[in-house]
Amino acid sequence: MSITDQLVSLRDEGLAAIVAADDLATLDAVRIEYLGKKGSLTGILRGLGALSAEERPAAGKVSNEVRVALEEALETHRAELASAALAARIGAEAVDVTLPGRARPVGSRHLIEQIRAEIVEIFLGLGYRIAEGPEVELDYYNFTALNTPPDHPARSLADTFYVRDLSGEEAAVTGESDVLLRTHTSPVQVRVMEKEAPPIYILAPGRVYRRDIADPSHLPQFTQVEGLVVDEGITFGDLKGTLDHVCKAIFGPDRRIRFRPHFFPFTEPSAEVDVSCGICAGSGCRFCKGTGWLEILGSGMVDPNVFGYVGIDSERYSGFAFGMGVERIAALKYNIPDLRMLLEGDMRFLRQF
Amino acid sequence: MLVSLKWLKDLVEIPVPVVELVDRLDLTGTAVESVKSAGDALDNVVVGQIIAKEQHPEADKLWVTKVDVGAGEPLQIVCGAQNFNEGDKVPVALVGATLPNGMTIKKAKLRGVESRGMNCSARELGLGEDHEGLMILPADAPVGTPFAEYLGLSDTVLELEITPNRPDCLSVVGVAREIGAVFDRAASTRASTPAETGAPVADFATVTIDEADTCPRYTARLIRNVKIGPSPAWLAERVIASGTRSISNIVDITNYVMFELGQPLHAFDADLLAKNEGGQVSIGVRTARAGEKLTTLDGAERTLAADALLITDSSGPIALAGVMGGQSTEVHGGSLNILLESACFNQGSISRTSRRLGLFSEASSRFEKGVDRTACVAALDRAAALMAELCGGEVAPGVIDAYPLPAEVRELTLRIPRLNAIIGADISAAEAGAILTRLGCAVTGSGDVLAVTIPTFRADLEREIDLIEEVLRIYGMERIVTTLPSGAGRLGELTREQRLRERIGATLRASGLNETMTYSFGDPGDTARLRDVLEEGEVLCELLNPMSAEQSVLRRTILSGLLRSVSYNQRRGVPNVHLYEIGGTFRAVDGRKQPKEHAKVAGVLAGAWHEPTWNEPAVALDLFDGKGVIEALVRELGAKRFKVRAAELPFLQPGRAAEVLVGGEVVGWLGEVHPLVLDAFEAEAPVTAFELALAPLMRAAVDAKPFTDVPRFPAVELDVAIVVPEDVTAERVEQSIVSAGGKLLDSVRLFDVYRGAGVPGGKKSMAFELAYRAADRTLTADEVESAHERLLRKVCAAVGGELRG
Repeated sequence: MSITDQLVSLRDEGLAAIVAADDLATLDAVRIEYLGKKGSLTGILRGLGALSAEERPAAGKVSNEVRVALEEALETHRAELASAALAARIGAEAVDVTLPGRARPVGSRHLIEQIRAEIVEIFLGLGYRIAEGPEVELDYYNFTALNTPPDHPARSLADTFYVRDLSGEEAAVTGESDVLLRTHTSPVQVRVMEKEAPPIYILAPGRVYRRDIADPSHLPQFTQVEGLVVDEGITFGDLKGTLDHVCKAIFGPDRRIRFRPHFFPFTEPSAEVDVSCGICAGSGCRFCKGTGWLEILGSGMVDPNVFGYVGIDSERYSGFAFGMGVERIAALKYNIPDLRMLLEGDMRFLRQF
Repeated sequence: MLVSLKWLKDLVEIPVPVVELVDRLDLTGTAVESVKSAGDALDNVVVGQIIAKEQHPEADKLWVTKVDVGAGEPLQIVCGAQNFNEGDKVPVALVGATLPNGMTIKKAKLRGVESRGMNCSARELGLGEDHEGLMILPADAPVGTPFAEYLGLSDTVLELEITPNRPDCLSVVGVAREIGAVFDRAASTRASTPAETGAPVADFATVTIDEADTCPRYTARLIRNVKIGPSPAWLAERVIASGTRSISNIVDITNYVMFELGQPLHAFDADLLAKNEGGQVSIGVRTARAGEKLTTLDGAERTLAADALLITDSSGPIALAGVMGGQSTEVHGGSLNILLESACFNQGSISRTSRRLGLFSEASSRFEKGVDRTACVAALDRAAALMAELCGGEVAPGVIDAYPLPAEVRELTLRIPRLNAIIGADISAAEAGAILTRLGCAVTGSGDVLAVTIPTFRADLEREIDLIEEVLRIYGMERIVTTLPSGAGRLGELTREQRLRERIGATLRASGLNETMTYSFGDPGDTARLRDVLEEGEVLCELLNPMSAEQSVLRRTILSGLLRSVSYNQRRGVPNVHLYEIGGTFRAVDGRKQPKEHAKVAGVLAGAWHEPTWNEPAVALDLFDGKGVIEALVRELGAKRFKVRAAELPFLQPGRAAEVLVGGEVVGWLGEVHPLVLDAFEAEAPVTAFELALAPLMRAAVDAKPFTDVPRFPAVELDVAIVVPEDVTAERVEQSIVSAGGKLLDSVRLFDVYRGAGVPGGKKSMAFELAYRAADRTLTADEVESAHERLLRKVCAAVGGELRG
């Protein structure tokens, strides 16, 4: 057989072997068998040296064609096999994506704290600072400096928790002790006004305590957010505008508010503030007891007597104050049927928010 | 306060329908809490006629009656009264009626005979004291008519919330005056001048007031020869509409005048008052002596506190001034002569006495808020005239009037610019003046300053700001334009502590804990439940008036509340509990007025992070989950010198208890709660818990964490297992590795702790991965090898360990 014939037959064999290889390892073995250092083609090419000078160019050309053909076929088939292998792997790795994800423990924020933070956020935007103070307070800060008369019912043992005074001092006002659990966060306002000169723009959130039996709508411990502004030229209109903004931010832009004149010892003029009922939009329903309105906060212009206690000139400065119960907002906004749920730590409740 | 609309309309024109009236009152400061129909209490009570009356077969004193109630078959009603005949008309409560005394009428069998309703006495309907028999109605009463309608009780009653600064509105005349001011209508008052006859009152009695302060005014009249009996219907109707019962004509008149004018009155049986040697009654007003006693109208003998104000005669106390009359001088069915008192007492004194004794009455609530003492005599005259008219009384000439502290007429000024500066409006002097005039003030002046004379019934108007409020509320808060404070630029921002507290909460939530809130109150037994003891000098922070024994102190730790929540969840079939709370704890020390409040963050972990899932088993939570949470927190805060060291804490299980140090100081603890503590809180083990004080944690926090360059050259990682005695801690081995490692040791990571085959008893093998790295070059194998060998030698010597083969 001529060397050319040998080459052609080698090519045909090789191409058949390449096509027959059904995985990459076999294919590689084929490559080595034909094109490796000890491969068949290499062997034949070594024989080229024995050819005459006339035969040599033609045989060289053919052998080169055979090498190229084998290499191309190898590459083509390798790509085919690689792609099939990848497809097989991908097929094998397919999963049911509707299976649940691997659990990551992520905690939730308590509803009251969530609302408190929301309100704080609103007031930070209005340029207020956050003020805090002790929960066990003195009668002076909780009542006296807030213009509460000595015989006021709020001071009674029936309404306010008193704490044993361990200093041995006599109670100056009523009962056995001048130490009490604050009934509002207003004492924080007094402490700030004592220390700082106007302008004052503060928000005082915190825990407060009143002697109510825990039931679906009352807790002896709850959360209040109170605000205080003292500056030159502060008006009742400013109070209205501020609370209007806040109520819309908390309850939604469609809600309306109304001011009803009221009485508080520490503000004058004073007003209670209602927000329009979210269920009936103000037309009256069971939720709002037919009135169309839900009472949400108390407010007013700081009473000049309060300025007197803290040494602020009420002729130069005026101010407003307001207070709201966060639990009440939670109950209204989330329709919480029983406020006691807020203090039980039931995981099934907490995880909802 | 309850006010009859009919009664109001007698006194003032109300130009709008009730719905609008309610709105206007709400928006001017008199909140309307409810609007009721007066006859509601008598729903399902109708006029009936007895058409048959037969002896009950089983009971001598019972009758079986057939009653026509105007609809359907006559009803068979068993009845115990004796005062009626066939043909009489009586009020009949139908099945379903709920009477004013709370009794609900149901179909019943009485001694075997069916009864479908009840024939009523006046008392059963709240219409009087008479319960001798059925209330027999006039023959012309129309059968079947609702009884309330027949009585003319169909009225609208407004329930008003009167704020404590407005005692003048605790009367119908006062509310009429307020409505008049709101709608700019004149309200009329009720004045009467009784005809006088017989010997003057001055002959009968004198009044002496000990201290003017306790009783600024005491007035009295004598009415002779009254006939005590039931009130006429109109009078009964009005006192009922005002929320009280009709008792007798004399008592009803005193109540009526109180509701009408706001001045409480008290009637003494004049014949039961002790006379002095001169044959006269000497009424005194003084404070009680310690231990003095008085039996009040309700039959209770009361020991009086030293500052209780008393009315006395020469025999001793006869009434608790302004709070309750005495039994010995009470008006009764046979009383003939009445001494009628109309006075003004010290507000604080009345308030203290009624609170101390738990006696709250219509009278005491008016006295403690303040009555207008200029109007004492007008009320006396009004009541005396009614007693003459309705009880046949003869009014003795003259009034006893002890008036040691006359009311002063108050003059205030109102600066119009100040008014507008406070409320943010542009109200003219004329408009402000007109509003104040409508409210009963006398206003002079114009321009910028008004001189305002305050009416005596508005004792609450003491300062200019009070006038500003009055103008605003009548002008209308809804008319004030909303603005925002325009003050110079200010920055709303949190303090460092507030920001850090937010971050601590956020990090704990990211670690899987849920925020909760528990009571700040605690049980005095919690300290023992926690197997804890008070610190030296510490006492429990005790409430003087707790709601319950279980909540009678303030908590010393948040742990107790969190354990209660763990128990709460476990008992409800929720085993996986991950809670944290940020809040205050309280430490009281003898001699210090207020307890110290410490802000803490505490957490509990029980069960597993999650239920077993298809690809992940549930792993029981233990101390190291708690520690992981704290490590994440410390890393987030960038706090330095963090350390957890074994410690003994009474509420933690020995061997699984640790103190947490940050910045070199102990900031709290971490561990698994002692099984005995869990038993005491009815919680199931294991529960991992921690509590850290916020202040030192925040002090150690770094505001801006320092930057260190990210490594640019590769590290060489080598694993090593060291066998050490059991008592050598991981921390100690790691520390000796770090100190032996020199500059080339980049990191140490413990990846296995092994006991068992190949490791002798009493020892453990700890496997570490050590990474060697230089910041400026790639290390050579030789460098690493020699450093590693040196390190191993030093570590083994330092911790008494040997390399595991």
